[in-house]
Amino acid sequence: MATLVETGEAAIEDSTQPPRFARLPRPVILLLVLVAILCGLIAVFGPTMAAQATLNGFVAGGYIGLGAIGLTLVFGMLKVVNFAHGDLMVSGAYLTILLAWLGVPLPLGMLLAVTGTAALALATEKLVWRPLRRAGAGTLQLFLSAIGLGLVIRSTIQFFAGSQVRTLGANVVTSIAFGPLRMGTLQAVAFVVGLVAMVIVGLALRYTNIGKEMRALADNRALAEVSGINTSRIIDITWTISGCLAGLAGVLYATAIGSFNPNFGITLLLGLFAATILGGIGNAYGALVGGIVIGLSQEWSTLLFNARWKPVVGFTLLILMLLFMPQGIFGRTRRRS
Amino acid sequence: MSVDFWINVGVLAGIYGIFTLGLQLNAGFTGLLNFGQAGFMAIGAYSVGIFVVSWGLPLWLAFLLAVALAVAAGMLVGISALRLRSHHFAIATIGFAEIVRYTLQNAEFSGGNQGLIGFDDDWRSVNEWALSKLASVELDAYTQLPLLLAIWATFLVLLVTMELLQRTPWARVLRGIREDEDATAALGKNTFSYKLQSLGIAAALAAIAGFFVSLNITYLYPTVFDPTFTFFGYAILVLGGLGSYTGVALGSIIFWVLLEGTRLMETSLSAGQQSSLRFVIVGLSLILLSRLRPQGILGNRNELRAEP
Amino acid sequence: MSAPTPILEVRDAVKHFDGLRAVAGASFDVARGSITALIGPNGAGKTTMLDLLSGFARLDAGAIRLANRSIAGMAPHQIARLGLVRTFQLTRVLAGISVLDNMLLAAPRQPGEHIPSLLASPRLARQREARARLAAEELLETFGLRLKAADYAGSLSGGERKLLEIARALMTESSIVLLDEPMAGVSPRLGRSILDRIAILRQERGTTFLFVEHDMDAVMSRADKVVVMAQGRVIATGTPAEIRADSMVVEAYLGGLAGERVP
Repeated sequence: MATLVETGEAAIEDSTQPPRFARLPRPVILLLVLVAILCGLIAVFGPTMAAQATLNGFVAGGYIGLGAIGLTLVFGMLKVVNFAHGDLMVSGAYLTILLAWLGVPLPLGMLLAVTGTAALALATEKLVWRPLRRAGAGTLQLFLSAIGLGLVIRSTIQFFAGSQVRTLGANVVTSIAFGPLRMGTLQAVAFVVGLVAMVIVGLALRYTNIGKEMRALADNRALAEVSGINTSRIIDITWTISGCLAGLAGVLYATAIGSFNPNFGITLLLGLFAATILGGIGNAYGALVGGIVIGLSQEWSTLLFNARWKPVVGFTLLILMLLFMPQGIFGRTRRRS
Repeated sequence: MSVDFWINVGVLAGIYGIFTLGLQLNAGFTGLLNFGQAGFMAIGAYSVGIFVVSWGLPLWLAFLLAVALAVAAGMLVGISALRLRSHHFAIATIGFAEIVRYTLQNAEFSGGNQGLIGFDDDWRSVNEWALSKLASVELDAYTQLPLLLAIWATFLVLLVTMELLQRTPWARVLRGIREDEDATAALGKNTFSYKLQSLGIAAALAAIAGFFVSLNITYLYPTVFDPTFTFFGYAILVLGGLGSYTGVALGSIIFWVLLEGTRLMETSLSAGQQSSLRFVIVGLSLILLSRLRPQGILGNRNELRAEP
Repeated sequence: MSAPTPILEVRDAVKHFDGLRAVAGASFDVARGSITALIGPNGAGKTTMLDLLSGFARLDAGAIRLANRSIAGMAPHQIARLGLVRTFQLTRVLAGISVLDNMLLAAPRQPGEHIPSLLASPRLARQREARARLAAEELLETFGLRLKAADYAGSLSGGERKLLEIARALMTESSIVLLDEPMAGVSPRLGRSILDRIAILRQERGTTFLFVEHDMDAVMSRADKVVVMAQGRVIATGTPAEIRADSMVVEAYLGGLAGERVP
């Protein structure tokens, strides 16, 4: 059914002539909208509050973007909507706690936790996804397996660690001041690390052979196979990268937010989906931009509404994106074949 | 553990049976991946509570209005999201269910996290009357028995209705859409309208289930309608079998006996750990069923769309 | 061959995909009761034209009239109800329901497909169903699928699927049937027998057929009229004999033939 509705959709999109302002490239429109909102916020709340919210938005955008890259790579290549992705992030955070409890120093523990999450993601490919693909599973089976996997990971963590709020045990009090703006030291570190990781992933996807093969595979599986790409190896690598980024995003979330419980993954997940769709399925750079847009929107919304509505902003953006721009900011309408 | 324990299992199996009938219609017979069923259930249950507590309507009228409201919500979701591809439709419906939950959790009208209470007086008087009748057969000690009977009577009526509906030319169009929407449209069927009807009926079934949830727990709070419960419904669906309404009843009974039965085991685990373990079991069964027997116990493999 | 009013009129039809002009101002008529072939090299816009005619793609410019009524902008099911049915290049049988159900789904005017009328008069729905069943069995007999009626359509062979899809299209009692490569993927013998049956059905029912086909022998021997498309335009129309003699057509084909399926 997927392909059918897709063609129907393309047909409808083709027929609607875009209004004049929409002739501008979509990313430019997005930038203009963001700048306009920022100006509005500065006018209403003053530059300090607006800038502080923007800063927080970029920090949130960092871990949402990182998480979304892993999600979009898998979605784009394997058409798996990985509902367990948020829970992989949670694994990263809780593996760090486990290692710290075992006496491993925090930075090393974080590194090992990221590696561990990557191994977990690879294990899900070997144990769940590859057998399902071989059996020719349909959309519903893939969905349910992903949901089941998420439940298993989350509940296993909950079984051992409990559902109470935990911290990484790092110093969360110190902060850095930029003029009138304040940013927790850990938040700043999380943001910088996130940014560096994204740049590395972006460069690696673009310039390394593996990155090129990954894109070829996501583009056209059959063609990639014919042209001699070792698809199962590339798929393994994709899962490893996806898990690695999820683990990192989880660790950074835990670092930046300070306290969390095993449900943070599922709460973040819809924001990740929103970022993924905003950026266009399978587009890693898009996911990054999408993550930052979602992060900014959520933090900016705290100026207007009570912070408890923050997640709703993510869901609402997700639904609006799906309805009005399902192909994303960088996507194009597809030609039906 | 007593008879009351098993009555409760029966209540849950019945409620989730009704809930899952809608998923069977959507996912099993129309090919629609509706993952927002818990949202419709929440709308149904909360509307009942709000109509009675805030508006002072009688419970039965509130029930009818709640079902109507859930159907309207289904239409709204359908009109906006049904043109999406299957993956996107599924994600959008989850987003819808989450918005419903957050709204109920944070809004004034729903009592926020405090929830709603005191809407079930009408039901209690029915319950009293039923217990007085049951006294003649010396079953009046089981206070949840009238609810169990009401739920299962409703469930069976709905089950038979859906089964009869399934044999009509109307349902043949739905199955056509499940197989190939374009080809069905090319034969002159307004596929969008049929998908909308399918979603509307599923929302109504979810609202009926939500009504019984509210009678069962007598106290409404948002976490009862966590979107995870949609996944319980899907576990029941694939357990019983895609494309079989009888399978829904069977799946729901097996699911809840297994899930609640774990409470009977003597373990040294804490309550939190036990509940985590139950979720691990649900998750594992979803993975294993999808892999090993995607058509479930009573499902038909030929009716399973293999194409992703 | 000498029908007074055309059942289908296409005027200056244009369709873009991502800036590509798949159909670039095509015009032609299909005479009522005719068998018309739509031919042209790959990429000429034939399938896009069928999509436009059946509502699966929307016209960017131009006009399409079905029995004197504009159908531009209509959804596929609306056009189908006006009496135009199509098949697809890659067969689309409904694999998870039975062969008979595939046929019954195509039966027109079934009140049982709408819940209100189903509840109002279940007897009418049953009567209609019984009549549809007779019609379906007759068509399945014609197409040699009678014995497979109870099987799931997914269990049919490629050729049988093709037959079922055509039989299903005829079941709709449409006045015009569009066939996208009815002979592709089936043995030449079966392909010819499909065309024979189409010719018979045209005689019996007066149904109009428009078909896209690459097999030139089949086109030239069975069609009353041929429409030739190249690069999104109609470059020639005429009887098979006229087309054969047209130098432009020969050129378009010779130009487009390299690396393409040879008829």
